Amino acid sequence: MGEDTTSLGGIHVSPGAIATIAYHATLESYGVVGLAPKNIADGIVKSITRDPSRGVTVRYNGEDIDIEIHVIVEYGTRINSVAESVGNTVRFHVEKALGLRVNKIDVHVAGLRISNID
Amino acid sequence: MAVNTARVQKLRKRQIDGQSLKRLVEAGMTWLRTNQQIVNALNVFPVPDGDTGTNMSLTLTAAYNEIKDSGEKHLGKMANLVAKGALMGARGNSGVILSQLWRGFARAVQDHETLDAETLVKAFAESRDTAYKGVVRPVEGTILTVSKGIASGTEAGLGSAHDAIDILEIAVKSADESVKQTPELLPVLKQAGVVDSGGKGLFFILEGMLRHVYGESLDTPLISVHALSAMNFENAMQEVEEGQDYEVVVDFFPQGELDLPKFYGQLEEMGTSIQVGEGDGMYRMHIHVPLEKRYEPIDYIMGIGTITKVAMENLLAQMDDIQKSTAKQPLKFATVEPGQIAVVVVSPGTGLSRIFASLGVAAVVAGGQTMNPSTQDILAAFENLPTDKVIILPNNKNIVMAANQAKDVTVKKVAVVPSRTVPQGLAAMLALQPDGEVDAVAEKMTKALSLVKTGEITIATRTVEIDGVSVKDGQVIALLDGKLVVSAGSVDEGCLGFLEKAGAMEYEIITLFYGQDMPHTEANRIADIVRAKYPKQEVEVQEGGQPHYQFIISVE
Repeated sequence: MGEDTTSLGGIHVSPGAIATIAYHATLESYGVVGLAPKNIADGIVKSITRDPSRGVTVRYNGEDIDIEIHVIVEYGTRINSVAESVGNTVRFHVEKALGLRVNKIDVHVAGLRISNID
Repeated sequence: MAVNTARVQKLRKRQIDGQSLKRLVEAGMTWLRTNQQIVNALNVFPVPDGDTGTNMSLTLTAAYNEIKDSGEKHLGKMANLVAKGALMGARGNSGVILSQLWRGFARAVQDHETLDAETLVKAFAESRDTAYKGVVRPVEGTILTVSKGIASGTEAGLGSAHDAIDILEIAVKSADESVKQTPELLPVLKQAGVVDSGGKGLFFILEGMLRHVYGESLDTPLISVHALSAMNFENAMQEVEEGQDYEVVVDFFPQGELDLPKFYGQLEEMGTSIQVGEGDGMYRMHIHVPLEKRYEPIDYIMGIGTITKVAMENLLAQMDDIQKSTAKQPLKFATVEPGQIAVVVVSPGTGLSRIFASLGVAAVVAGGQTMNPSTQDILAAFENLPTDKVIILPNNKNIVMAANQAKDVTVKKVAVVPSRTVPQGLAAMLALQPDGEVDAVAEKMTKALSLVKTGEITIATRTVEIDGVSVKDGQVIALLDGKLVVSAGSVDEGCLGFLEKAGAMEYEIITLFYGQDMPHTEANRIADIVRAKYPKQEVEVQEGGQPHYQFIISVE
């Protein structure tokens, strides 16, 4: 994916690389305390993942990059704003690093972490 | 601004309850809003979730709206309402963090009816802790760092503090120091020569509260003078406001003391993104202004001091390389209805073609001094237009012939207005009436030719003496309506020499169309020289894009 041809040969960026960029950008976003593996269905989050390809799905159909991110958000933050920031930050970092346009970013809030009860 | 000490004494004796907190939040909000643009200008990342200052200000406004009608006296309950409002109104990253800070603050004071020094210190610590919990990988050099600086600063100062006002003073000082540290912690800030915007926003909120205590005004924007070393505009990826196309930076030594409030006031009438720096008595002023006001800051500063350097940049070009993008843009020609007159012009440069297009020509044929278009080229330009009335402007004496031939071989009703130069062609366009009869309109347009004087500035290709002017190969020469009138050592001299010969003092408008080899900045510099010499005339600079001629000048 992300193929580019130069006089020296082709450049291929794998979905895994994009996922890693998205993963790190997500973790730097305020309000996100972790990513969740997406295959645990029904919103039950068993573990917070540290593997950069889990929790992030990248799809590429030859033109557009679609990214799906499953996050755990800190309880007590405005989830809407956090999810929006994640989308913006991931888009910015992926587009800056790869020069490829990101078509769509879906942020799924898979769970909340409660560190303080008010 | 002087601190109202009597007021501070009075406030020190009072308890800080829920209503006091309300007034403090209002003050923080007002002061942040007043300085919102300063915070926005610090944005480094072009992340499209809006500007930090705006986001923080909206978040705090939401918090204030939650409490503004509340008569709650209990501090803890009031703080809870603030936190709730901030949470509901949180906008953007910085807004979410701000809401977390308030959440921690509220938790720390929830059982307190009033605020004392110790509780406030605890509240700052709890704010910091809550904020840090909201992110896995805290980035230092941001608002988080500033919240940490405030918490540790106030903790250290608790021993010497008498009351909560003392702690607030320490908090503002710590925030200020912490904000100044942010570029050391976050390289991207240092590269851009700015401090962290969110941290600065937090500083303004606390400072607003302190200013309220001091009885200082909250609605005049902060007049800030940076250290010169902290001013670095090239890398600051600021957004360009609509219409504020030019960045002007002026270095100057003021005559006597610079009256900053007045200085800012004057500049604000001209543009936005104002910054002023100072070092060793030299001031540097930065401003974004609209195209037509780009010389105003310079004129103004000239009146109050000695200018040492002026830099001007077209921000649109800087952002988007405007010359390339507009050159590629297809020209929009006037649509011609059947029965109307279509004008076909020959244009030697892309910039000139664009100007002709804006004046309503229906087709442009590329061509000029050394690239005369053929009869066929001219014919092709108008054969397919949906009208049988055509006027041709050759704009060069060598092309008049080809234009006349095109007229002879077509069945359409064609008139050639014998414009010999581009300025003549432009003057003729102004006389166009698309709905008239070809011959009558062509006659009017032909009359308009004599209203304008044309200058062409170019480099001589051989040594010669014509019309009493001797020219050496490589010298700059100026032609007035096609006749050699001046030879000069530089383009500046050539332009001035031509204008003198043309009697420009008696005319109103001087337009300089700069050629493809002439940099925009150089064209502007020369225009400034012309302006200085002809203060009564309106001097305009346009991109002509023509080859060979450094300038085509129109005097009308």
